[in-house]
Amino acid sequence: MHWKTRSRLTSWLLGIVTIGFLLFQWLPMFTMFLLSFAGENGGTTFPMNGVSLHWYRKLWEADLFDDFKPPMLRSFLLALGCSVTTVVLSVTAAQAMRGRFIGSGAYFYLLLLGLMAPGILVGFGFAILTRLLGIEGAWNTTAYVVHVSWALPFGFMTMLAVFNRFDPRLEEAALTLGATRVTAFRRITWPIILPGVIGTALFGFSLSYDEYARTLFTAGSDGTLPLAVMAQLDRQLTPELYAIGTVTTVMSLVAIFLCTFAFWLRSRALRGRPSH
Amino acid sequence: MSSIRPRSAAAYWLAVPAGLWMLAAVVLPTLLILWVSLWGGQSVSPDNPITFDNYARFLSNGSYRALMLDTLAQAAMIMGITGVLGYCIAYFLTVKVTSPAWRTALFLAFVIPFWTSTLIRAIAFVPFLGVNGLLNQALLAAGLIEQPIQAFLYSRLGVSMAQVSLYTLLASGPVVYMLNSIPPALREAAMTLKASPFTVFRRIILPLTLPGIVIGQVLVFLNVLADFITVTTVGGNKLAFLGNLILLFYEGSQIRATAVVSVLLMAVMLAGVAVALRIVDIRKVGG
Repeated sequence: MHWKTRSRLTSWLLGIVTIGFLLFQWLPMFTMFLLSFAGENGGTTFPMNGVSLHWYRKLWEADLFDDFKPPMLRSFLLALGCSVTTVVLSVTAAQAMRGRFIGSGAYFYLLLLGLMAPGILVGFGFAILTRLLGIEGAWNTTAYVVHVSWALPFGFMTMLAVFNRFDPRLEEAALTLGATRVTAFRRITWPIILPGVIGTALFGFSLSYDEYARTLFTAGSDGTLPLAVMAQLDRQLTPELYAIGTVTTVMSLVAIFLCTFAFWLRSRALRGRPSH
Repeated sequence: MSSIRPRSAAAYWLAVPAGLWMLAAVVLPTLLILWVSLWGGQSVSPDNPITFDNYARFLSNGSYRALMLDTLAQAAMIMGITGVLGYCIAYFLTVKVTSPAWRTALFLAFVIPFWTSTLIRAIAFVPFLGVNGLLNQALLAAGLIEQPIQAFLYSRLGVSMAQVSLYTLLASGPVVYMLNSIPPALREAAMTLKASPFTVFRRIILPLTLPGIVIGQVLVFLNVLADFITVTTVGGNKLAFLGNLILLFYEGSQIRATAVVSVLLMAVMLAGVAVALRIVDIRKVGG
């Protein structure tokens, strides 16, 4: 009896801490959403001075200095490229790990290194490398290489976890029935690991799309969206920045939602099949 | 038998692209920083003799030494706060919340911001913490303060609040993982043997989640040390940590000084990771 009341008390305390933190985590973003709809005379803090889509319109009809559309397009294309490359490299690397080649232990740590190395060091080091080689940095060359090195460890870990849960007997069955290893991979392995591949692609996209430190050192003259946002913040903080923040955040939320939905559809479809 | 033969040539060939990529984009650049930090002479050139002068010059400056200590103190503080907060949240979500629907909802509310831009999240703290910001308005409305608090924004307090918000998930995630891997029978057994809930926590739950705590702390440690975005967005120009110093030197084209600070930062990080590895064997965690 005595323990039970005390346990209930801890539940309440921990619950308050958790809810408090969630509020603390979401309220700044919520403030930003709200203020992005401020009126024309609205500032960067309260009061809002009316409600309008003025700052979104300004974002769309931007002039030369604060036009976010080209950096946004660059960020999008870079993230897409990073996503595809991360998927290919993560799947090949994880498949290679299944081959338990000599040195695979060291190889595992080599790929994990990208997770530990902070962006500011990787970016700076890569800038030195390109400078020594006499290569001009650009968002779609040097920044691309560094972005993939950031997303790859996440994708690699995801694919390793997927292969760990994978039932090798399914492949064995295909091979026994005369399929080549390539066919077995294409027809059996690939469809089963597909949810993990989608997760990896999402990692590749969002880690690249949001990356700032690595891009800062390697992107050259044409910046990506985070660089443009930071440059605008250096000049002046306007509700326009809140508008762009809201747009990118909503895009991220939609991407997460679509992925979760795809997973859910897939797991429902798999459950629907007759078991054997 | 699987779609790849153990120790086959194919395994090696499949491993090559990702391995080369990481060598070229992470390992080689890191070694280059180390090399550049040792370049001597007047001009910046690889032909100059190797020397430790750059380090001596940097470390002889008292304000730089103070800045290093300050960065470490900040990291320690954030580790402490996120550690306690993250553990409480992890424990509540995995042990105390019994309804699966609620658990999923709360967990999503906890994790989703992690998938959005850190830069945007840091910027969002400006209208939240400002003099007319939401936090001040709320405190005024509640009658807790009579005048808006100026010190929330462009201050260490504001930076710390933003960092806690950004990094608590890193401290919490590994604990959630470890809590989930504890079989319920273990607790039940202890309860049957008349252990009090506190004893169960101290003797069973805490030791079994220790690896999660340590990994979370390492993640927070590494992220706070390398964080310069939160400091510039929420801290204004009043505050600088090692990450900001790297950027400052780089923008001033002082490549060797940048390299020196980078190497020192790397050394501190490696030391931290080494300490953590002495406490827990990370390789055992996955198994």
